[in-house]
Amino acid sequence: MDGDRSLTHASAVILSGGKSSRMGSPKALLLFDGEPLVVHVARALKRLFAEVVVVAAPGQELPPLPATLARDAVSHQGPVGGIYYGLQAAAGDYCFVTSCDVPFLSARLISYLLSQISDYDVVVPYWQERFQPLCAVYRKSVAPLLKEQLDRGELRPIFLYEKVRTRKVTEAEIRRFDPEGSSFFNMNSPEDYQAALALWEKNKQGFPLTCTVELFGVPRLLAKTKAVSLSLRQEATLSDVFSALAERLPVLSGRVINSESASLFSGYACNLNGLDFVRNPAAKINPGDRIFILAADAGG
Amino acid sequence: MHGFHGRLLHVDLNTRKSSWRDLEESRLRAFLGGIGLGTSLLYEYAPPGVEPFSPANPLIFASAPLVGTGLTTTAKFAVVTKSPLTGFIADSLSSSHFALELKRVGLDAIVITGRASSMVYVFIENQKVEIREAEYLRGKAPGETERLIQSELAVPAARVAAVGLAGENRVRFATISNEGRHAGRGGVGAVMGSKNVKAIALCGDREISVADSMGVAAIAESLRRKSLGSLTEKYRSIGTVANLAVFNSLGTLPTRNFQQSTFDHAENLSGETLTENSFSRRHGCASCTIQCERLFKSAAGEEQRLEYETLFALGPLCGIKDPDVVLQAARLCDLHGLDTISTGGTLAWAMECSDNGLLPEDRNVRLRFGEPEGFLSAISAVAERKGVGDLLAEGSRRAALKIGGESSYWAMHVKGLEMPGYEPRSLKTMALGLAVSPRGACHNRSGAYEADFSGAVDRLRADPARGSLVAAAEDFAAVLDSLIVCKFLRKCFTDFYSESAELLGKVTGWNCSGDELRRIGERIHTLKKLFNVREGWRTEDDWLPERLLKEALPTGVARGVSLTTEELREMIQGYYRARGWDKEGNVPDEKRRELKLI
Repeated sequence: MDGDRSLTHASAVILSGGKSSRMGSPKALLLFDGEPLVVHVARALKRLFAEVVVVAAPGQELPPLPATLARDAVSHQGPVGGIYYGLQAAAGDYCFVTSCDVPFLSARLISYLLSQISDYDVVVPYWQERFQPLCAVYRKSVAPLLKEQLDRGELRPIFLYEKVRTRKVTEAEIRRFDPEGSSFFNMNSPEDYQAALALWEKNKQGFPLTCTVELFGVPRLLAKTKAVSLSLRQEATLSDVFSALAERLPVLSGRVINSESASLFSGYACNLNGLDFVRNPAAKINPGDRIFILAADAGG
Repeated sequence: MHGFHGRLLHVDLNTRKSSWRDLEESRLRAFLGGIGLGTSLLYEYAPPGVEPFSPANPLIFASAPLVGTGLTTTAKFAVVTKSPLTGFIADSLSSSHFALELKRVGLDAIVITGRASSMVYVFIENQKVEIREAEYLRGKAPGETERLIQSELAVPAARVAAVGLAGENRVRFATISNEGRHAGRGGVGAVMGSKNVKAIALCGDREISVADSMGVAAIAESLRRKSLGSLTEKYRSIGTVANLAVFNSLGTLPTRNFQQSTFDHAENLSGETLTENSFSRRHGCASCTIQCERLFKSAAGEEQRLEYETLFALGPLCGIKDPDVVLQAARLCDLHGLDTISTGGTLAWAMECSDNGLLPEDRNVRLRFGEPEGFLSAISAVAERKGVGDLLAEGSRRAALKIGGESSYWAMHVKGLEMPGYEPRSLKTMALGLAVSPRGACHNRSGAYEADFSGAVDRLRADPARGSLVAAAEDFAAVLDSLIVCKFLRKCFTDFYSESAELLGKVTGWNCSGDELRRIGERIHTLKKLFNVREGWRTEDDWLPERLLKEALPTGVARGVSLTTEELREMIQGYYRARGWDKEGNVPDEKRRELKLI
């Protein structure tokens, strides 16, 4: 996943206290890629955020988490309750809020949503004619309004959007970062779960091209690593390399890689196999390529 | 006059008299300041054919229009003279508070001629000039000299540029040092030492006048902001030492006297490793927002500044793999006032001679690639001109001529100036830039490597069309070095010439265009060439060391890549054509007239 650790004021909140009634068993504990689903989602977000908070129902059993655990004071108050308790528990000035059953979150989309918050209280995607309140960014200052909603029994987040400065992110915008809207794929039934597992396996097998990215200078110091191996689709381009690299090493996003355009910032350059300096992000990558990322100002 | 004082001070050490003269605005507009003004004054003040160590060889300090205006990276000055290493022009830049003080004493340039009968230093305080006794400073390091002079004068604010032991002993690649920085290449410190001048001390309070202070302030703020963005992050976060690992991976890191272009221990010495293990402090020149200077801590706990060129020359070039040895060597060079590139280049030559049984025996200095002890001893021996150090103090070209045999083949220089850390065989545009540079093997007065690293050309392939790229890079550098703006700011301009012209206009009040600046760059560069021609330049001086034309690269991604004599010759012809020079590389009268150099 890509992201930006320089956004130190942002936290992530994962709601895990839902009833899972249609699934038949607790969603948070479903095994996904060898680990409980809530752990899988928390681990993915941990690569983006300094703090991840999981909000659980009172008494809900959860495995050890790479996250801070918070509890609903009152169980089953719907998403408004979860968002409220999550915002209360998080240290960040604003939070990306999601649920524990979304294994295909797009880090590029999350980065974009975070980048939009500065003049707003809420940034919420609008996908297929519906708001997506559990893939949205909320400023902590809206918590008192959510509390009032809870007190009035208004359990739908959409009521909040009418009261505060809300940035509605359009479908066209979303498609720039998450063309299929996979960030909104959640699991409510055993069939959804099976479909998600199948898609995950397919994605894993769909990466036949392996290349190595070698980092020099600032990128190396930021990432604290000299090289990473990436698996990409066939016919991958340099842009795909930058996207995958930002996802693998989120710390490079916003400093070295411009995740919005899947390109390098102007201070950086790319060299293929130590031979060719390549400026075109549409350049094709071949299996086994070594891709150097270095300062544009080589020499001096 | 805005941006300049229109004044030059001439100090004649033979008579111990000083005189001032006005500098015409037309001359300043034609050559700007810094390297341009210095070159113009060298052409005028140096008697044709003057010996570099002759009292008549002028040593020129030149200020520039942007100095003191508050613009980031502009606190720089030029030192220009006839080089004792090359016999051609030596034009060096240095930076920091000495540059600002030169402007504050109300001068655009100082010309020093003659030779003092004993060691002296020159103290300039606005209109007052004193030539003061300095025998007590003999043998002192530049930093200590600076403190002692400030103390003697009881002027802590005095800014001092000094030579170390190497300059006093006329080591042909001695530097002039100020605040730990150096006017480094070409032996300007040796010329100062030959005049028996230990230091120049400055203290002034003259105001600097600009035509449009609000306009200058607005541009200064814009450049300041740009200087803090991703375009300079390399310099701000790691410094130039970041080049080493990259160059190694690209097969462009000269190693073991250019025997190969990769170094097995490059990771040990990389800027990234140094930053993680030995970083001590970040520092920078006066008036600079980039602050590229990096100080690293040696095992003994001493802080030492390190740049890429120093790291390459005192590391891979001599086969040295221990970063602590490189730090110790750099410290010795700073203490003695030695150019680190020529020091490394000359020692690497000596190591190869030693491998082949050609170096004269010196039981105190055993020089072998990769062996620290003899390497460190040799640096001090050079500064002291002791034992084999006396031979090495002549630089690789002269030393090779003295010991004869095959040793000239291993002397890696152009026009006598040792090569910088860019492998020409895998950087073909740079190869041409190095071959034709008036200063000798120089990476600063053209920056031709930029084309090789841009992706715009095939860096491994020779091509006569590179001539125009090299000429453009030289003219660009001439303007940059004469305004003066640090080369590390160069990427912060979108259209360098028009933006610089606007800036110069706001400082001086001149209605200046980008095209005029471009033409000034060409004029300055051409005058350097004309100076060299006057001093005996021949077509064969524009050439590269034979090794580079006979041996293919043996290692790394550029393994097997070579540069042939024919390829180099064709590129040089392409360069002469791009310059409008004749086939022998001479500047036709028509071109001189066009540039108003007749």
